[in-house]
Amino acid sequence: MKLQHHLGGLDGLSGPIDFEKRVFVEDWERRIFGIHAAMMGLSDSLREALPDYDLDAVPSAFADTWTWADLRKGAEAMNPFAYFQYRYYEKWLGGITGYLVQQGYVDEAALAEATDRYRAEPAAALPDRDEGVIDEQVLRYLREGDSPRRGPAAPVFAVGDRVLVGDPPAGEHTRLPGYLRGCPGTVERVCEGSYAYFCSTGADGLGEPVAVYVVRFEPTDVWGPTAEPNAGPLFAELYQTYLAPRPTPSQEAAR
Amino acid sequence: MTAQFGYPEDREQRSAAQVRALEALLIEKGVIGSGTVDKVLGYFESEMTPVNGQKIVARAWTDPAFAQLLATDTPAAVAELDLPLGMAGAEGEHLAAVLNEPGVHNLVICTLCSCFPWPVLGLPPYWYKDPVFRARAAREPRAVLGELGVPLDPDTEVRVWDASGHSRWFVVPERPAGTDGMSEAELAALVTTESMIGVGLADAPTPA
Repeated sequence: MKLQHHLGGLDGLSGPIDFEKRVFVEDWERRIFGIHAAMMGLSDSLREALPDYDLDAVPSAFADTWTWADLRKGAEAMNPFAYFQYRYYEKWLGGITGYLVQQGYVDEAALAEATDRYRAEPAAALPDRDEGVIDEQVLRYLREGDSPRRGPAAPVFAVGDRVLVGDPPAGEHTRLPGYLRGCPGTVERVCEGSYAYFCSTGADGLGEPVAVYVVRFEPTDVWGPTAEPNAGPLFAELYQTYLAPRPTPSQEAAR
Repeated sequence: MTAQFGYPEDREQRSAAQVRALEALLIEKGVIGSGTVDKVLGYFESEMTPVNGQKIVARAWTDPAFAQLLATDTPAAVAELDLPLGMAGAEGEHLAAVLNEPGVHNLVICTLCSCFPWPVLGLPPYWYKDPVFRARAAREPRAVLGELGVPLDPDTEVRVWDASGHSRWFVVPERPAGTDGMSEAELAALVTTESMIGVGLADAPTPA
């Protein structure tokens, strides 16, 4: 069980919320965001994307997959104390650096040397190597995206159906909020089409295109006696692989 | 515990130098060019900003047919407006609006990460990514909204949307009182980012 999968509803965080409205609180955070977005726009996985990206025409040395799933895996792999300790973009910086070193795009010793150099001279220029075609691909990705929508779906549930959220073994990555595991809900909406995920999540069950549902949960079913008085419904968008049918009250009574 | 949560005094300088070094090495390696990161940032600074969301909300306030379409087929409604190219791009592939109405207040959260409708609202502000907000808003949304200064009638139903799938939800707040006859541009100026995620209401008009 990972804290990162069970953050929703976690008890004991009753302190005030830091209502910081800025997107970046340090200037350096902007750069790691930009690196992440660029890597997503150059990811080898875009060869399977719905827009017809021509990655062969892009002269980038990046030849691996970098998607949201990879960034999220990094955050989910953290020591939970460290997850709370570090600010949002500090986690990104750690995760992206680790990935680039592991994949061999960045040499650890060279990174340490360059870090020392920029530490001593923060205003030192970046290497001057303009790559217009790379920039165009990254901007094209930002404008056209990477929809997970695939072909038609064969949904097994319909609006109003009673469902029970499963409790699959959580591996390195999941899209099932921990607080919903085992909870009864009701299908509010059946999304049109089927939806793939960036990668296989193994026994967790994502990857291949499946139907997706917006499921309605009643707070008392989720939180029991600790539900907030007068709380309204909670909705989550869940992949079919996370859901099982739930008997109706009359079916339950007949058992 | 002090070691676990200790920070070096030069925490920010270290990160700043590391990200600069990372960018430099990626340019040398030919992964990105020297202008790539600036181009990405420029895109979000100039085109994908909350101004797009403000225009969508203002149109929904003045055009009931548009509001209806926005509720049932958000991408189709958004495509009707004269907005920058890319509204269905990264993190806007599956936009989904939820509309506040008398007695109903919507709140969008992401308990697993930080899913956010970039083309409509720009990049997420820090509070949205705050673990304390994400933990508490799921279970005690009324208390959280009260702390953040959102006046809620006890009878108002609070609906929470946890962005765990492909949809990127945003909230259409209610049109404030005293705005009859205002132009779409004037109305758009009342729409805050916070109101479009549900931790605020649209601003009241300034008395003339």
